[in-house]
Amino acid sequence: MVALAVILSDLLFGIMLGCVFAVVAHGLNLIWGVVKVVNIAHGEFIMLGAYGAYFLNVFGGFNPLLSAVVDGALGIFVGYAFYFSFLHRELRGKERITQRSEMVTLVSTFGLSLFMSNLAVVAFTGDFVGINWSPGTVALGFLELPLGALYVTILAVLIISTSVVFLDRTYIGNAIKAYSQDITATQLVGANPTKVASLATALGFSITMAGGALLTVWIPTGINPYMGALYAPISFVIVVLGGPGKMLGSLLGGLTLGVVIDVLQAFVPVSLAYAVAFLLLIPVLLFRPEGIVK
Amino acid sequence: MRIAGLGVTFFGLLALMLLLLILPFAFPFSTSVIVINLLFYTALAYSINFITGMTGYVSFGHVVFLGIGAYALGASADVYGLDPVLGVLLGAALGLVFALMIGLVTLRFRGVYFAISTVVIALAALNIVLELPQLGGSQGIILNLGFQPYSWYYTIWGIVLFEMLITYYINRGKLGLGIRAIKSDEDAARSVGVNVSALKLYLFGLSGLFAGAGGAVFAWTTSGVFPYETFSLNFSLQMLAMIIIGGVGTALGPILGAVVVYLPSYYFLTVAIGTQLIIIGFAVVVIALFIPEGIVGTLKRRSASLRELLE
Amino acid sequence: MPTLRTEAVSKEFGGVQALKGVTISLPAGSTLGLIGPNGSGKTTLLNIIAGLEKPTSGAVMLGETRIDHLPANAIVKLGVAKTHQIPRPFAEMTTRENVSVAVMYGRRRIKDTKRSLNEADRLLSLLGMDARRDLPASSLTVQEKKRLELARALATGADVILLDEVFAGLSSDELRDSIQLFRKIRGEVGFSALIVEHVMGAVLTLAERVVVLEEGAKIAEGTPDEVVHNEAVIRAYLGFEENDSPG
Repeated sequence: MVALAVILSDLLFGIMLGCVFAVVAHGLNLIWGVVKVVNIAHGEFIMLGAYGAYFLNVFGGFNPLLSAVVDGALGIFVGYAFYFSFLHRELRGKERITQRSEMVTLVSTFGLSLFMSNLAVVAFTGDFVGINWSPGTVALGFLELPLGALYVTILAVLIISTSVVFLDRTYIGNAIKAYSQDITATQLVGANPTKVASLATALGFSITMAGGALLTVWIPTGINPYMGALYAPISFVIVVLGGPGKMLGSLLGGLTLGVVIDVLQAFVPVSLAYAVAFLLLIPVLLFRPEGIVK
Repeated sequence: MRIAGLGVTFFGLLALMLLLLILPFAFPFSTSVIVINLLFYTALAYSINFITGMTGYVSFGHVVFLGIGAYALGASADVYGLDPVLGVLLGAALGLVFALMIGLVTLRFRGVYFAISTVVIALAALNIVLELPQLGGSQGIILNLGFQPYSWYYTIWGIVLFEMLITYYINRGKLGLGIRAIKSDEDAARSVGVNVSALKLYLFGLSGLFAGAGGAVFAWTTSGVFPYETFSLNFSLQMLAMIIIGGVGTALGPILGAVVVYLPSYYFLTVAIGTQLIIIGFAVVVIALFIPEGIVGTLKRRSASLRELLE
Repeated sequence: MPTLRTEAVSKEFGGVQALKGVTISLPAGSTLGLIGPNGSGKTTLLNIIAGLEKPTSGAVMLGETRIDHLPANAIVKLGVAKTHQIPRPFAEMTTRENVSVAVMYGRRRIKDTKRSLNEADRLLSLLGMDARRDLPASSLTVQEKKRLELARALATGADVILLDEVFAGLSSDELRDSIQLFRKIRGEVGFSALIVEHVMGAVLTLAERVVVLEEGAKIAEGTPDEVVHNEAVIRAYLGFEENDSPG
């Protein structure tokens, strides 16, 4: 009975962890799927969201949930800025992203990643910080669930489902979907490709930074300038697992990863659990590059 | 016709290497130490040039080979008392072996996916090493190899010389043409008979070999191997920055990039390395967006005569 | 020069049968036309022969050697080369260098740079592209790029050339010139050709025999004259003639 409780508890934790991973990766998924561009600096924007939540907490007493909203709003502007500085020149007027543009974006965003993380070291110091927010726990049968993590999970799922609904049911959402399939077709539905792509990017960054804020609940002492180096690869693995561009894939990939890591942690040291989780990428790319679900 | 002959640049670089050969005897000690570091970064730049510079496959996780080389020397010196020069050879050998194994799998992936899988592998390697007590776990391995600047100097000098010569060899004639074809359009290259998989693997193996050798030297000069430092993505980033700035694929690019990236840091000695990385990061962004061919590439494009000169 | 044969080649893509047991034969030195409405599987068959796809079942034989499991570059080394429907030149390299790559890495495996350049020049002359030799391939017109595709295929020293819609998008003058050029080259170099085309004029003029595909299956085979008068072919095309866009 105790063993069952432990397993269930582990599983539940894995699921909750998976959900926060999912929302952290979701912005990347959106941008990757729509604009077909991979932002190597993705981790740094998660870090930005996390630090945003931290400072909002220190100076404004905001809890991470509230900070997620603020970060999300900020993310929109950051996303637009990113689009117009990095992507516009490469995408403008093109029918399809070229291999060269892919490489240019890959390299330039990698430079950005280097720039941002090291700037963060100077600006924020290399110290590990965290947010102290414990709204208590809730009892679920014989399990004790931390409320903070629970709220984050709910919010994460909410964000992802809203994006799915948005893409499916709204006019702009449909325009974004059209763009992801065929850029020229976007114009046929009466939308401006640049507006669509930049909006998608802005939304992606918004979700990313909100995700960074939500993440802080899980890392009470883990906010640091180099954290992007951990969460970016996690995000990449999640997106590949779920299938780039498949919105619900973020949840699928995130849950898979979360559960795998959590379960493995029971048997092997944490680092090895992460190593295995990362290496999952390789077989998926080899055998199922579209994602584990068709 | 851009099939490279041996021009002014080649002899210029040879002359430079000859100068560097006698430098320790002509210049004060402190200069030698600076040059050792410069040569180390040059070695790394040449190594990533083989894969990323020549084929366009961006190896973000390239530091993994540096780590492998470092641990090869570290573990062998610590456990078996292996002579460091042999340790360097071991590092090179292991770098080659792992590169071939990793490349067999990852080189099948296109651009972005290849890049990401290299990061994932580097991180996985770090995490695995942290859990291996035989390799010192999170504490690393502390060696007692002493201060051997002349050995360091000539070892790294030799490595760079080899890399330079091999780069020239590859860029000439048939191999050079085939590689340019791959970089231009891999599938079209295949359609005219180029054995793309084999060539990519060959280059990746070379890059792993030399990164391994460099990593071993790193462990030797710092007399220790520490996981977070040795598998740091910052190294990868610096390697890429050097060839991006200097010019990808060329023989002159890596050394130029190393000089540009590394030397100014000597003036920033009082400033934390972080600031240098901020500037490098910024430079990479600007160059990737506006001057993608780097210094050498852009110069080549501007003037036909410069092109001949810079081959 | 060996015979190229496909033996009951089938190909399935995720539920769709692109090819259903197609058997064709290309005797040495002959020219075979491959026609059919859009979606009939012509390009898929060509890709399978060239090694870009693997058949779900069936085999591709070059003489006595089975080639369908070999990688594309190995098939080139055995003497089968394919042009690209949408030209894919090595953009940053010159026209001459483009052909040189094929000379060096093709069947003849020439290692000497000078020799390969001379050979490249010879082929470009044959195709009337001398003036374009030292220009970057990216600056060529679409027509010239198509000729470059042919030049590269020839440069590999192939016995069997697979032509993927090389006559598409030409004016009637250009078409006449291209057909003449092809005849001249075929005569001088000597190779077997498998021509996939929508432009009927070219196929019916140049091919000795024609195979017609519809929805992945072979529905007719014979001389151009026979095929043109074949009822099944007419039926397949009547439905297709109305809607087909000019090649």
